Amino acid sequence: MSFPHDIAVLGAGVMGASTALFLARGGMDCALVDRAGICREASGVNAGTLTLNMTRAALIPYALKGWAMWTDPGPWLGSDPGVTATDGLSLAFTDQEVALLEARAEARRARGADIRLLDGAAARRIEPGLSERVLKAAHCPMDGHVTAYLTGRAYRQALVDAGATLYEAMEVTDIHRRDGLFHLETPDGPLRARRLVLASGVWLETMLGWLGVDIPIKTLVNQLIITERLPPVMRGVISVANGLLSLKQFANGTVLIGGGWQGHGDRDSRDTALIPDNLIGNVRLARHAIPALGGTRVVRAWAGFEAETADALPLVGPVPGVPDAHVIGSIHSGYTSGPYFGKLLAQQLLGETPELPLDDFHPARLLPARSTVSEVSP
Amino acid sequence: MTEPDLLILGAGPAGICAALAAREAGLETVVVDANPAPGGQVYRAAPASFRIHDHNPDRRNGERLRTALAGSGAVVASGHTVWSVGRDLRVDAVGPDGPVHWRPRALVVAAGTSERVVPFPGWTLPGVMGLAAATILLKSQAMLPGRRTVVAGCGPLLAAVAHGILKAGGEVAAVVDLASRRDWAVRLPALAARPGDLARGLGWRLRTTLARVPWRYRHGVRRAMREGDALTVEIGPVDGDGAPLDGPTTTLRADALVVGHGLTPATEVLRLLGARHEYRREAGGWVPVLDADQRTSVAGLYAAGDGCGVMGAAAAQQAGWLAGFTAARDLGRLAPDRYRLWTAPHRHRLARMRRAGRAMAGLLALRPGQVAAIPADTVVCRCEEITRTEIEAALACGVRDVNTLKSWTRCGMGPCQGRMCGETVAALVATRAGSRERAGIWTARVPLRPVDLAALTGEYEYADIGIPEAAPL
Amino acid sequence: MNPRIHRHIQRPPTVTLWVDDQPIDAHPGESLAAALLAAGIRCLRHSPRHGEPRGAFCFMGACQECLLTVDGRRVLACQETVREGLRVSTGAARD
Repeated sequence: MSFPHDIAVLGAGVMGASTALFLARGGMDCALVDRAGICREASGVNAGTLTLNMTRAALIPYALKGWAMWTDPGPWLGSDPGVTATDGLSLAFTDQEVALLEARAEARRARGADIRLLDGAAARRIEPGLSERVLKAAHCPMDGHVTAYLTGRAYRQALVDAGATLYEAMEVTDIHRRDGLFHLETPDGPLRARRLVLASGVWLETMLGWLGVDIPIKTLVNQLIITERLPPVMRGVISVANGLLSLKQFANGTVLIGGGWQGHGDRDSRDTALIPDNLIGNVRLARHAIPALGGTRVVRAWAGFEAETADALPLVGPVPGVPDAHVIGSIHSGYTSGPYFGKLLAQQLLGETPELPLDDFHPARLLPARSTVSEVSP
Repeated sequence: MTEPDLLILGAGPAGICAALAAREAGLETVVVDANPAPGGQVYRAAPASFRIHDHNPDRRNGERLRTALAGSGAVVASGHTVWSVGRDLRVDAVGPDGPVHWRPRALVVAAGTSERVVPFPGWTLPGVMGLAAATILLKSQAMLPGRRTVVAGCGPLLAAVAHGILKAGGEVAAVVDLASRRDWAVRLPALAARPGDLARGLGWRLRTTLARVPWRYRHGVRRAMREGDALTVEIGPVDGDGAPLDGPTTTLRADALVVGHGLTPATEVLRLLGARHEYRREAGGWVPVLDADQRTSVAGLYAAGDGCGVMGAAAAQQAGWLAGFTAARDLGRLAPDRYRLWTAPHRHRLARMRRAGRAMAGLLALRPGQVAAIPADTVVCRCEEITRTEIEAALACGVRDVNTLKSWTRCGMGPCQGRMCGETVAALVATRAGSRERAGIWTARVPLRPVDLAALTGEYEYADIGIPEAAPL
Repeated sequence: MNPRIHRHIQRPPTVTLWVDDQPIDAHPGESLAAALLAAGIRCLRHSPRHGEPRGAFCFMGACQECLLTVDGRRVLACQETVREGLRVSTGAARD
């Protein structure tokens, strides 16, 4: 810790870990800092869904690239964090949902996703366990999932191999600018770096505040449910037109049920509590889609935090008014596109032109119009 | 009654008495229990379709308690499995008619204990079952565990089960007792507070002697193996900490092995609600911190019975009475002078019963030497089939708390939710972390029990699902 | 030797259950786990990784070892009560 790093990435979820990985490979002396272990917050506890059906239309091009990275992890990650590529079906049970499905599929197709609408019978040929009550389904042959709790291990090895310095179990409590360097205050003394990337998920709002920047970030508290092991009842990833179901069955037979049903949570204390009615609603939706789920039991449930900006679009790029500081995060269904956004930001930081543009995600767009950004003292 | 004054979790002796107290104070009371009838473990009811006339004092006491509860005016929701309790005290359960919930103003948790079995090679074989399991079979199903049974472990259930088997005409190959004669003898004076129990226990012990059943003190099970339809059980000498000693081993042949190594208070609900806990080995493990009136550190939350620390059914009843009266007082439904008057005899009895209960609890406490001696390839987490070797590998990588160990190894992620392996895992982690306090305890989570998905969802239409707003396009 | 204790006990007359398509007799009201034990059926399922035989262990709904299929539902045998005509499948579903 005595010599300043070229760059410090604060937050070791998929966004931060990916950014740090590509920075390190690009030759930077890069530090990755997290108060817990790699991929232990949102990235460790989410559904791990790789989806184009549930990705916002504007992010489809990035998600396509992200999907390609996840399904061929060897070249960039070095090991396989339990990636399974599957078909994805998004279901409609009512006429209203069919209309919604058609609109969403069209919007995603326009951005390059290969999504086709099928009738119920055709959908059941792909997914025999589907309910008879499915009217239509949007089919994407490029979906899948990653085993979320294995990503930490995979990233750690890749980062070490790339020469990044990992600081796990190190909590940063404040950031100051002094002598042209960022000082990240930790219990073991300041960690110094010439440049900074904030990748801290729901805690971005707090940390941007340390830099004098006010960008509100909403904390979503997503509930997830897992069943006990059961015989195969589904093959791919299933969602619904309105976006509130995410369903997949792992190789060990357990079924993960999610989709964004909310629980209670406090991002400062990190306490979460489940809302029973929302757990029941989520499970009812799952059973409605795959009736065979009625024969199993729910064994575990938990909630994880997800960041959302005011316009529900990502936050990727320079921190307004703070030289040498960048931010990455708040990417809805960000698991799929996370590694690719990390790569793009790294390109930007390494002085290259990002492969796909990041202009739409510039943080400045989210500054409250009337506020002025306070300059952090040099 | 969806918004009672008081909801009581558990209809064992503590829960029943809490309900009787609450009803005396005029509280609207609901008792929720997963079993088909009240009684808990010690007073577990036999099937309603059986007629039993065996003059068993536990059965008589159980019937007395059940009758009192039935006549008390409390609503008894038997056959309901609680899967969630919120910080607002909302209790969610599934019953025969699907999902239900209550919003009580106060909550008494009387959840009892679960039996602890320290793993040994072969403990997962069919034909191996818990001591408490054998008690259930004998007392409430009127069934023997097998033709010829090895009874092993520690505590008062050894004699009770051995006697029950002999009385029913079965064979006991041996009683394999981790305790020494002296361990028992020093505790007998404390049992004087319960002369009836003491006499009964001595009678059971005598019967095993008369039946020439070998009682092997300071012995433990080394391993069990399958031999056709039968089991061979190898036993050997152990020290006071449960660790094997050099010495001749004995091989027993039987078709059933019943084994139990103590009781651990079931504190999931209390921990889920954030009540303060402390680790007390002699009380069975982690227990809630209570004041003298059975209050936990959370307002509106009370606890009673073995679930707060192993104390025995007699003490549990007194603690239940206290908890019920205290809840009533705190709800403003029992005047202070009445409260003092009504609780006085129960406090007095509790103090006496507790002494006896604690003496027995000492025999049941976890023996660290026994855990340390678990052979490497023995399955520790039964659900996920994780061996000690795999746990040690995680510890070697620097894991120092049980929750991290869970995410590394999958221990505790299976359907039993860590109930079978929790104590063993924590003891193994504690050897590296330095103490049970440092090793921590598994985060309590909803669902508190595996919930049948069909029961949870009930009968519903798509329109009933109440889907929140759609995500942005 | 019959594992059921008969002294001082009257049970209702037996009914027939079907366990893996074999008929067994049991008394209504008994726990299914006890009835299977009495019929000599001890192996109820197999362990998830190595396929080792498993049977009822705690008899009180905690250990989850006695999980099997009754009339198409996944239930714990120790929490299930014997009734006429129950169709039980042991170890049939992949655990």
